[in-house]
Amino acid sequence: MANENKNSSAYRAYFFAFFSVVLLILSAWVIWDDEFGLRPWKHYQKEYKSLKHDQLVKEYKQAQFEFQRSGGAKRLADLNAQLEKAEAGLKGKGAGEKYEQLNRQLEELQKQAAESQKQLQTVRGKYLETEYYFTRTQKPEYKKEMDALQLQIDAIDKKSKDIQVKQEPIRESIAQIAGNIPAIKAEIEQLNKILEEKKEKIANNEKAPIEIKQFLIKDVDKADRCVSCHIGIESSKQPSAKQPYSKHPLTSVYLGHHDPGKFGCTYCHRGQGRATTTVEKAHGKVKYWDEAMLKGDMTQTSCLNCHGDIKNLRGAETISKNTELVKKYGCYSCHKIPGYEGIGDVGPELTQVGTKVNYTWAVNWLLDPKKYFSTARMPKFFFTQDQAEAIADYLFSMSGSDRRDVDSANIKNDPKLVEQGKALWSQARCNLCHATGGRGGDHSKVYAPDLSKVGSKVNKTWLFNWIKDPNKYFPGTKMPRFRFTDQEINALVDYISSEYVDDESENKYVAPVQIQAASIKKGKDLVQQYGCYGCHKMRGMEMVQVAPSLKAQGVTFLRSDEMREKIGTELSSIGSKPVELLDFGKLKKSMPNDRLSYIKQKLRDPRGFRLGLRMPNFRLSETEVNELSAVLYGFTDSNAPVRFMVPSRQELDKMAGVQGYKFTGDFAKVIADVKCTNCHTIKGIGADYAPDLSLAGSKLQESWIRNFLANPDMIRPLLQQMPKLGLSMGKTPAKVTMPKFNLGTQKVEDTNRSDVDVVVNYFQQELVTSDIPTKIPVIADVAMPEQIAQGKKIYDDKGCRSCHQLGTDGGAVGPNLSNVGNRLLPGFIFKHLENPRKYKPDIVEPNYGFTERERVLLTNFLMTLKISAK
Amino acid sequence: MSDLFNKVKKNLIWKSVFRRDYRDNVRDRALAVFGNVFLHLHPVKVRESAVKLRYTWGMGGITFLAFIILTITGVVLMFYYHPSVDQAYSDMKDLEFQVPYGVITRNLHRWGAHFMVIVVMIHMFRVFMTGSYKAPRQFNWGIGVILLVLTFLLSFTGYLLPWDQLGFWAITVGTNMGAATPLLGYQGPFSEYLHITPYNDIRFALLGGATVGGNALLRSYIWHCIAIPLIATVLMVVHFWRVRKDGGISRPQNH
Amino acid sequence: MNPFIEIITQPDNIAIVIMILMVSFFMVWAFQQAFQNDKLKASGYAVDGENDQDVDTYKPLVRIELLISLAVMLFLTIWSIVVDAPLEEIANPTLTPNPAKAPWYFLGLQELLVYFDPWLAGVVLPSLIVVGLIAIPYIDTNPKGNGYYTFSERKYSIIIFSFGFFILWLLLIVIGVFDRGPGWLWYWPWQEWDAHRVVFEPTRDLSNLVGVESRSLAGFIIGAIVVGVYMVGGMVWPYKYWQKKNPELLQQLGMIRYVTIVFLFITMMSIPIKMILRLVFLIKYVWITPWFNV
Repeated sequence: MANENKNSSAYRAYFFAFFSVVLLILSAWVIWDDEFGLRPWKHYQKEYKSLKHDQLVKEYKQAQFEFQRSGGAKRLADLNAQLEKAEAGLKGKGAGEKYEQLNRQLEELQKQAAESQKQLQTVRGKYLETEYYFTRTQKPEYKKEMDALQLQIDAIDKKSKDIQVKQEPIRESIAQIAGNIPAIKAEIEQLNKILEEKKEKIANNEKAPIEIKQFLIKDVDKADRCVSCHIGIESSKQPSAKQPYSKHPLTSVYLGHHDPGKFGCTYCHRGQGRATTTVEKAHGKVKYWDEAMLKGDMTQTSCLNCHGDIKNLRGAETISKNTELVKKYGCYSCHKIPGYEGIGDVGPELTQVGTKVNYTWAVNWLLDPKKYFSTARMPKFFFTQDQAEAIADYLFSMSGSDRRDVDSANIKNDPKLVEQGKALWSQARCNLCHATGGRGGDHSKVYAPDLSKVGSKVNKTWLFNWIKDPNKYFPGTKMPRFRFTDQEINALVDYISSEYVDDESENKYVAPVQIQAASIKKGKDLVQQYGCYGCHKMRGMEMVQVAPSLKAQGVTFLRSDEMREKIGTELSSIGSKPVELLDFGKLKKSMPNDRLSYIKQKLRDPRGFRLGLRMPNFRLSETEVNELSAVLYGFTDSNAPVRFMVPSRQELDKMAGVQGYKFTGDFAKVIADVKCTNCHTIKGIGADYAPDLSLAGSKLQESWIRNFLANPDMIRPLLQQMPKLGLSMGKTPAKVTMPKFNLGTQKVEDTNRSDVDVVVNYFQQELVTSDIPTKIPVIADVAMPEQIAQGKKIYDDKGCRSCHQLGTDGGAVGPNLSNVGNRLLPGFIFKHLENPRKYKPDIVEPNYGFTERERVLLTNFLMTLKISAK
Repeated sequence: MSDLFNKVKKNLIWKSVFRRDYRDNVRDRALAVFGNVFLHLHPVKVRESAVKLRYTWGMGGITFLAFIILTITGVVLMFYYHPSVDQAYSDMKDLEFQVPYGVITRNLHRWGAHFMVIVVMIHMFRVFMTGSYKAPRQFNWGIGVILLVLTFLLSFTGYLLPWDQLGFWAITVGTNMGAATPLLGYQGPFSEYLHITPYNDIRFALLGGATVGGNALLRSYIWHCIAIPLIATVLMVVHFWRVRKDGGISRPQNH
Repeated sequence: MNPFIEIITQPDNIAIVIMILMVSFFMVWAFQQAFQNDKLKASGYAVDGENDQDVDTYKPLVRIELLISLAVMLFLTIWSIVVDAPLEEIANPTLTPNPAKAPWYFLGLQELLVYFDPWLAGVVLPSLIVVGLIAIPYIDTNPKGNGYYTFSERKYSIIIFSFGFFILWLLLIVIGVFDRGPGWLWYWPWQEWDAHRVVFEPTRDLSNLVGVESRSLAGFIIGAIVVGVYMVGGMVWPYKYWQKKNPELLQQLGMIRYVTIVFLFITMMSIPIKMILRLVFLIKYVWITPWFNV
């Protein structure tokens, strides 16, 4: 028994040893892991330090070289020699002895001064103590003591002052003997400092601690430790462009306006700010972390979190461009998206479509809009022929047609009228908005339908009525009312319907067929199911769109956009929707299961996830998919603090109770008719296709406005955006011109004034600012011709011609100035030169910092640039 | 060398701590046990079966060890944790990313807790299989069952503390059952006769609210870190005491 | 990845795997020792430990305690180094995970929710389990098998306990962890979980079998009769049986003990019975009353 016990105890001893050793090894592992394995930032910081060291050493060497080259070193040597010589002069007998004696005296006096200073402190301390006791006890002996101490204090004070006075002459004598020695010393110090500073930087870099660095935003408990690895993100000179050492791109825009100490990193970049242990965790590409880090231009998505206006926001160019797509395709028609309310229907009104288009066209269009023209915005719904016919039947029946109409295109066109129409077409610059045969039409800015085949689509009667008054058929259309006469319209209609026809269109003539009630019913169901009413105004659908909650309250018709129930999923927080809520359906295994991939796939193939999905296919290009998904990704339940929010102009006005700007009087009528704001912005309303006219009255000369409206001519030889697009300058530039609206001398309805009178009057009354003076200062000491000559010299010296053209000479970035003297008011030029960005924040013109005198001279010169009217 | 050894051992400080030398004789072996506050939990002599691994499996002792490990790691974790909705989750993140040895401490606590639950169940199984609940140990079995329930509750209350989806919904599911308590839960049978609503039922009392929120987190925290450990400790004292008083580890009674 | 591998390698499920391994190991060990002792006893030898002498606590016991402590700490340390405790997304009251599972040791109770209403599965049954466990020493009057592993001497108590412990407790936990997916639907371990899976399973109530609307008075009465017969019959029948076969046993137990044993037993057995009714016969409720459903 005992024997057995012993054996087993020895056996157990081995176990003990084994377990202990393994536990020890494990402990060592844990310690190593905690020190290095889980702290990769230590490595990065060390690496950065050495890169920074190399950079600083290089700078130091360069500074040294520069110091040699610029003669700094020589000067230093000279000064040292001078100093030595001067100091040698102060040694030995005579002056030297006296100098030393004076210095000794001064030293003695300084010692005395220090002594009395110390005494003073002691006595003052005693005084304060006594005062305390006196205040507490009010005993007179304390008062007495205080008085005695006060006397002592006064005495010491006086002594100190005496010493001070005694020092003065001695100092003066010393300075006299020393001569320029202090000046030399100061200069030597100055020179030494140049290199010393660089050296100090190197030393400081060595001393920088290796530690977790973070941006801590206390009140929202956010700690972004990204800088622990991205250590050089805020540096002005990056020691390496390699990640994670590089600096932030466009530092002044992004970090300059968003101090990382206040904003952190992850509000914009997402990712997991607290993580420090691995790159994947920090960048949020791990399980249980929904927010993968955003990189590059994609980060601009986050601008949408806080900025109400991203148009013209520096650094948000990409996302700003991308948001145009939401408007172009009208995503808000079917989906609720905050900030996109009340924009109006993206598609044309269909209440009278039966009288507008021919039936065959309508069916073909429903089947595949891109077949008609490739830039069609309407998506493909994948209807069958039956379904398309049913919908067309419904639409026709709801717009007063009881049969599938016969095409009316067989009416002959008059060749003479066609000829006249052709001239009108180009005079009115229809191609500016409408593309035909692949030419014209800037769809990224002003969307207008391609008219290449319009002759096969619409009938002539409708076309006539449309051109005569577009508002009547489609209130809110972008199409302006041109001031054509009926005869001119007839000519245009004949031209269009003879020139722009679809050669391949079949079935031009169908026999009239009565529309069946069953088909109408089927069409109505389809329209309801696919929500056509989201984009088009149509009859019979008014009730369908009303939100069910309102219906329950007894609402019987749709009065405003807020009452509308959108057919699609709400997108207000799609960019932060938990992945669990996204249904990947049959694609779950074949694609990455993350939010961005889902959004992209949905845009590519909206019905691809499973059966029964209704969203139509917009057939976006891959670029458009990326752009649109970037916008959608930015629609989030932002958890950013309210103090970050930058409301849009409109929101601010709303908050302040300011009514949005409204055009008044006759001008409002002109605007509603001619749609100036399709291209121009006026007082915050309108598009940015053409110049902002908010201050036109202070800027433009009346005679020029009149001439221009009567016969718009080009101002800028190039698109403003052209240089940014990087197109070569050799190509024939696209011309920016204004359509000729025939704003002539005809009277605006119900008034006695002409359009131009109304416009000019409104410009001068409303679109002015007191900021811009009507007169510029006068320079009295120089004669006018001389002033103009001097102005021209400034113009040449500052290189204005590299951007502006005079005649045909000069660059094409800025407006042509050949006729600026006829166009602009001197006050505007004068003020504009002071700060070009003031009236146009996105302008590229640099601020030269002209003096007032220079500005007057330049203005006077520019005002002489005139092309006399022919 | 041995000189130094002697000097150290004759030292006043050494003696004050260890009292006497150990020689391998009956007296010293006994003294080693009852002279030591930790060891005197044991009697001086035990039945051989108590030493045999195949009989006890060591499960009771392992449970106690797990409890000690959890107490130590738990105290460390408490230094870094605020039981508030705003901070709890980021404290967990900091524990992972910033606190020295935070990851290993949390892992030990989490896995130790799972381990303790497993071990305590196996302990119960062993005690049943050896019939050790039989007279005179009936009462101690009862204490053991309550300790088992307390172990579950300790783990359950700890679930919510990280304030993540797992814990939040586990607690929501768990406490929703409380709402179905007959008479006292608002969804339970007969509760309408007592005018029970979601705002005065047993679930409300558990959570400190009608839903899992800040109050529930605080309650979990206090139950987890203070109340249940205290109760469990008291019951463990009773449990261990009764093991000895009821005749030590059970054994065949024929003799 | 293979769904089975995926599910058992989830950090929190590793504990369940460890539990299965440990429990199986100790179950085998316990029964092996029990059968060994039974054999010894049958051959007239002393059972294991019967002839044990006293030994010193210091050092044999202390040594083995320290050794086991070391081993356990080693085990936990390795576990903690190899597997990181997960931390899911921050709690979001508006986003219910599917499935929302209780802590694993309560999954047996959550599984019962399929078969019983929450007041039974979540409150009454767990309370009865605790009460029943505490009651075991007082209702098991068999003096044999105290202090050693045995099976033959305590056949019935071991079978009943093992059924409750392994099947109704641990097996249901394992099912709850590995086989219950989104919507608390059944998934075999090799099946992929699918949050959008739709399963239509028509259920009926017991009285529907005989064509009586379960929510009607007749249905109520039928349900009451079935439950009553089960409870009362379950109480009376064994009494009659034992009276004939083994009257001393009843004498020994006494009335209170008898009622307690049988009540706890038939309550426990109601769980598998209801599970079979639900799974095989698709019966949701046996008895519908205005206050509660069984």
